[in-house]
Amino acid sequence: MPCERKTMRYGHSEGHTDVCFDDTGKYIVTCGSDGDVRIWESLDDDDPKSINVGEKAYSLALKNGKLVTAASNNTVQIHTFPEGDPDGILTRFTTNATHITYNSSGSRVAAGSSDFMVKVVEMSDSSQQKTLRGHNAPVLSVTFDPKDEFLASASCDGSVAVWKIEEQTQVISWPLLQKSNDVINAKSLCRLAWQPKAAKLLAVPVETTVQLYQRDSWAHVNTLSDDLGTQAINVVAWSPCGKFLAAGSIGGLLTVWDVESKLCVERQTHEKGYTVCGLAWHPSGGQIAYTDTEGCLGVLDGLSSSSSSSSTTAAKSTKAPASYDDLFDDDDDDRPMDEGVSEGARSPAKNPGDEDDDDDLMPATGRARNRSAFLDDENSLDTGSLKLGLDKFVDDDDVGSAIVPPAAAAAPLRPVYDGPMPTPPQKAFQPGSTPAHLMHRFMMWNSVGIVRGYNDDQDNAIDVEFHDTAVHHAMHLTNSLGHTVADLSQEAVLLACPGTDELASKLQCLHFSSWDTNKEWMVDLPKGEDVRALCLGQGWAAAATSALMLRLFSIGGVQRELFSLPGPVVCMAGHGEQLLVVYHRGTGFDGEQALGVQLLQFGHKRRQVIHGEPLPLSRRSHLSWLGFTAEGTPCFIDSEGVVRLLNRSLGNMWTPVCNTRDNCKGKSDHYWVVGVHENPQQLRCIPCKGSRYPPTLPRPAVAILPFKLPLCQTTTEKGQMEEQYWRSVLLHNHYGFLSSSGYEIDEEGQSQAQKEQQELLMKMFALSCKLEREFRCVELAELMTQNVVTLAIRYASRSRRMALAQRLSDLALEKANQLQGEEPQEEEEEEPLQYTRRNTGYGQSSSELGTDRQHSSHRRAQEEEVDEEEGQEEHMDEGEVAERQGLNPFAKGTAASPEKPSPKPVSKEGRVNPFKVSSGLGRPGSAGGQHRVTNVLDSMISSSRKPTALLSSSGSTGKLNKTPVLKPLAPRPKTKTQSTLLHMSAPKAANKKPAEEREPAVGRLKQTEAPPPASPAENVDHMKPKTGFQLWLEENRRILLADNPELEETDVIKEAMGRFRTLSADDRLSWTERAKGQSGDVADMKKRKRGEEESRGDENGQSEADETSGKKKKTLDTSAKLSAFAFNKN
Amino acid sequence: MDPSEVEFLAEKEVVKIIPNFSLDKIYLIGGDLGPFNPGLPVDVPVWLALNLKQRQKCRIVPPEWMDVEKLEEIRELERKEDTFTPVPSPYYMELTKLLLNHASDNIPKADEIRTLVKDIWDTRIAKLRLSADSFISQQEAHAKLDNLTLMEINTTRSFLLDTLNCMFKLRSNLQPGSSGGKAQDH
Repeated sequence: MPCERKTMRYGHSEGHTDVCFDDTGKYIVTCGSDGDVRIWESLDDDDPKSINVGEKAYSLALKNGKLVTAASNNTVQIHTFPEGDPDGILTRFTTNATHITYNSSGSRVAAGSSDFMVKVVEMSDSSQQKTLRGHNAPVLSVTFDPKDEFLASASCDGSVAVWKIEEQTQVISWPLLQKSNDVINAKSLCRLAWQPKAAKLLAVPVETTVQLYQRDSWAHVNTLSDDLGTQAINVVAWSPCGKFLAAGSIGGLLTVWDVESKLCVERQTHEKGYTVCGLAWHPSGGQIAYTDTEGCLGVLDGLSSSSSSSSTTAAKSTKAPASYDDLFDDDDDDRPMDEGVSEGARSPAKNPGDEDDDDDLMPATGRARNRSAFLDDENSLDTGSLKLGLDKFVDDDDVGSAIVPPAAAAAPLRPVYDGPMPTPPQKAFQPGSTPAHLMHRFMMWNSVGIVRGYNDDQDNAIDVEFHDTAVHHAMHLTNSLGHTVADLSQEAVLLACPGTDELASKLQCLHFSSWDTNKEWMVDLPKGEDVRALCLGQGWAAAATSALMLRLFSIGGVQRELFSLPGPVVCMAGHGEQLLVVYHRGTGFDGEQALGVQLLQFGHKRRQVIHGEPLPLSRRSHLSWLGFTAEGTPCFIDSEGVVRLLNRSLGNMWTPVCNTRDNCKGKSDHYWVVGVHENPQQLRCIPCKGSRYPPTLPRPAVAILPFKLPLCQTTTEKGQMEEQYWRSVLLHNHYGFLSSSGYEIDEEGQSQAQKEQQELLMKMFALSCKLEREFRCVELAELMTQNVVTLAIRYASRSRRMALAQRLSDLALEKANQLQGEEPQEEEEEEPLQYTRRNTGYGQSSSELGTDRQHSSHRRAQEEEVDEEEGQEEHMDEGEVAERQGLNPFAKGTAASPEKPSPKPVSKEGRVNPFKVSSGLGRPGSAGGQHRVTNVLDSMISSSRKPTALLSSSGSTGKLNKTPVLKPLAPRPKTKTQSTLLHMSAPKAANKKPAEEREPAVGRLKQTEAPPPASPAENVDHMKPKTGFQLWLEENRRILLADNPELEETDVIKEAMGRFRTLSADDRLSWTERAKGQSGDVADMKKRKRGEEESRGDENGQSEADETSGKKKKTLDTSAKLSAFAFNKN
Repeated sequence: MDPSEVEFLAEKEVVKIIPNFSLDKIYLIGGDLGPFNPGLPVDVPVWLALNLKQRQKCRIVPPEWMDVEKLEEIRELERKEDTFTPVPSPYYMELTKLLLNHASDNIPKADEIRTLVKDIWDTRIAKLRLSADSFISQQEAHAKLDNLTLMEINTTRSFLLDTLNCMFKLRSNLQPGSSGGKAQDH
């Protein structure tokens, strides 16, 4: 008999309480020590009706619309039910009555009192009383024989007596109970219960067992016990069918026995372990209401009284979910956001509990209690009861199980499904709406406005109000169609109503932004198809229906798309051209929902971004809000209050950015989210005290919550900064998305965000520096942009961390190279069209290259192409290769073929880059090749001191020069520094770029080629043949110098560069070709070339510029050098 | 000082509004205001709030203390104590008047609040009169009154000062009169 234990709720103030159902079972009626009788429509009833009956109410009974209560003013009063009007006093005692009860027909009331008396009073005539005297202490409880012949009572004197009512005599009395002097001191309330209908058995709770006595013979026939029951049973109650007996104990254990088989069919623990002092079966037998001495009311739901112990597994397992569905429908049909859902979803899982799930299934408190109970139990075991102990052990493992074999272990385990229970699927809802059953509700609250629905006696209307009145004025619509779902956008209001028997489900759109006079359209859905969820985007509207279909309309009412959803929709959200759909992927178990999500993109780039992946909810929660941030990032919130944002940079994963529950003061407080903004970082929500959603009146005020990534140790400075950094990174992802989907973006905001991130990195860097975490410093530096790395280097060198600075400079170099490597690639992405056009030739040649490399003509053509397209770096690489090419076309082919197609992927990887490759190639080669000699010489001129400077620097750190590997170490940093320097001048060249940005594409390509010679020329010189520009420069140098005699070398180059650029594209091409040809011709005449190079090297301003920088370095000590390096960079 | 001047000062107090328009930050001499996002509460001075309200550009969120329960508490305390109790806002009277006159539709239970604030005001003014009375009757040279608001001081200032002046004149006239008599005697 699986059942679900609902969360208890506060009903009365602390103290004794009592509970009963009304005749129909519609209401739960409780009384408590606050003197109130409360009438609950259900456990979720937030506003129960209260009737005050006195200062304290001890007991109550309800039948035939008459509510009888025992109050502290020593009377037994009658109130009408459910009105609660006083209807006179039934009887009085000299002290208060302790327990009252009706007989089965409701014609009589029996009341036991602390003045040792029991009175039986006729309801119709309160003067007809029968007094039963004989107890020697306050009466604990009374119960009528259903056949109205006998009455049983228990008293503090330890006796349980049966009376013959008519004769007012005691028939029998058993000394069963512990004696006490008053009800409050009694160990147990000893609420007796007589089996209804058959009236054969009288149940008497005695200590931890329930003893059953047979009518007439008054013989003890049975004892019902439970191994887990370690504490006295307080109350017992028969199921209306008389087959089951429920008992509540002092320790909060609720047990249900099948009386016939004496099997314990249900066991539940009070969530806090308080004493259960009131227990009542629902007239239908499917529910037990119970109250505790702390004034809380609880319900065990889903008890299927009809299912007897012999029913088959199949019957049970099918029955259980069905009953949950019913429940779900009854209680929560209209409020998907209600607590009930999660609770409802949670509890069924507790019953079955296999061993694995055990820990998860039991609520923490209950579990702890149980444990302690076991411990107690085991401690108290005497050595003899080993078997019992074993049983207990078994039980221990099986705590969550609803059906535990009775103490008689011989009884075979009934084949009952006790695996994970399916979760009732969450109903479809509109994000930003309050439950539909409310008379006044928000149908939609989003960033555009508010749609309120009124559905009371006078009015059935919808109010639409816009936050920004500039969008549209407020609207008041009569809701004649009974719309239940709504959405609102800058363009339209979309409403939909479910279909009825006669009328089809309708979709109504108030397209207020339409420029024609017809501002409204309506669509009937096919018969039997109901709108479940809808949403509006920019220029479109979508409706998901009960037929698992998603219908897409244009905002003007054109049907555009139609497709099937993989499961019943939960909710939808639209933003711009994006549509986010969440649906049931399958059946969840153990309180989990199995939701899937799809993100579709319309517009010109129609595609599915998220292909029905599972939506990661918190454990045992359901979806409570779904939408987009104002910037268009999908976002959702679950019932546990966790806000998750789509992290597009990480393959569309969901990252939790905030937990609204962390900001709540009370446990039952919630935040009702109405909007999420990434810039500024705001979570706009309405604080709801003690509920999940706000009332419409008074108008709730929006509050703003900050985001907070749940990183570890956010109390520490490090954690805080990490959190800030990653939050900033995450919440500025949308810039990338927006720009990629062609929206305008706030460049300023973006750069500001970047600045903020870099600042944070720098702070973290400084902190790690302080903490002597140099490795961490480098890790952080890897996240920095190149500029900031230089700052970091400066910081490191200032704080005398040479090793760190060294590593950082390596890193800076790498970054610089990477940056350059990326440049051509970026360009490529920007102009895909142009490239495809050009690539036709290129691609052809390269394919030919693959097939017949022998064709040198092709090779040549291709080489030229490459030269034009791949920019200087490529050019440089090739230069060396080209020499060999001239000698051996095959060799070139082989050398080039792996290289040619590679630049893109290479730079993408960000690991290898053209510069690096070239230097890598150059270095090992420099030992052999002739022109490397010049290379070495060049570098000698440019930075002959550098190796020594580095040596001294390594000497100062005192590590490197001790090792024998000094030599290989020293040159390496040198090359790096060199290329870093090279990059330093790169920005200068970059500055020139924009001026010529408008040149035709060829010129543009040229440009990427052109600027580098200005700056990294020295590198070029080392191992490259002349470029077209250099050739040109050689020829025109004189003219240039004649024109501007006052110019310095570097300026000459600049000037030359300018002039070279003003040449027509064809001219330049011819120069380049000449350079090519020359290099090809010259290839086998290396000596001449070297001579040329040397002379060029002399002439070339770069080498001199390099020299000057080299000189500068000579004068500085190491740390100053590093910082100067940093400064230079800036 | 004119009551209108006190009111003018009170208009500098900050109040929350919910604008129904969108506007970037505005930069004023007194400080930056905004940005205004429709539907999102923002702090502005009362003068702006009222102006926007009159143009139906916003809803005013009543200050926290402008709440029946809180005011009832204050009133009870004010009645119980002999001295002046601290008031929720140094401009409570002015703000109540301004907000209730212009934005009573945004303030729940406006009438009750008006009555309560008037009650508090009356109680305090009565105390003020009482203390002025005892001040004069006991011929004190100075007195110290805490927790008085500007408006309250203002209501009694002109009268009290004039009265004191007058009394001083009368007293000093008495003196010269007697001395004059003496002079005549001489």
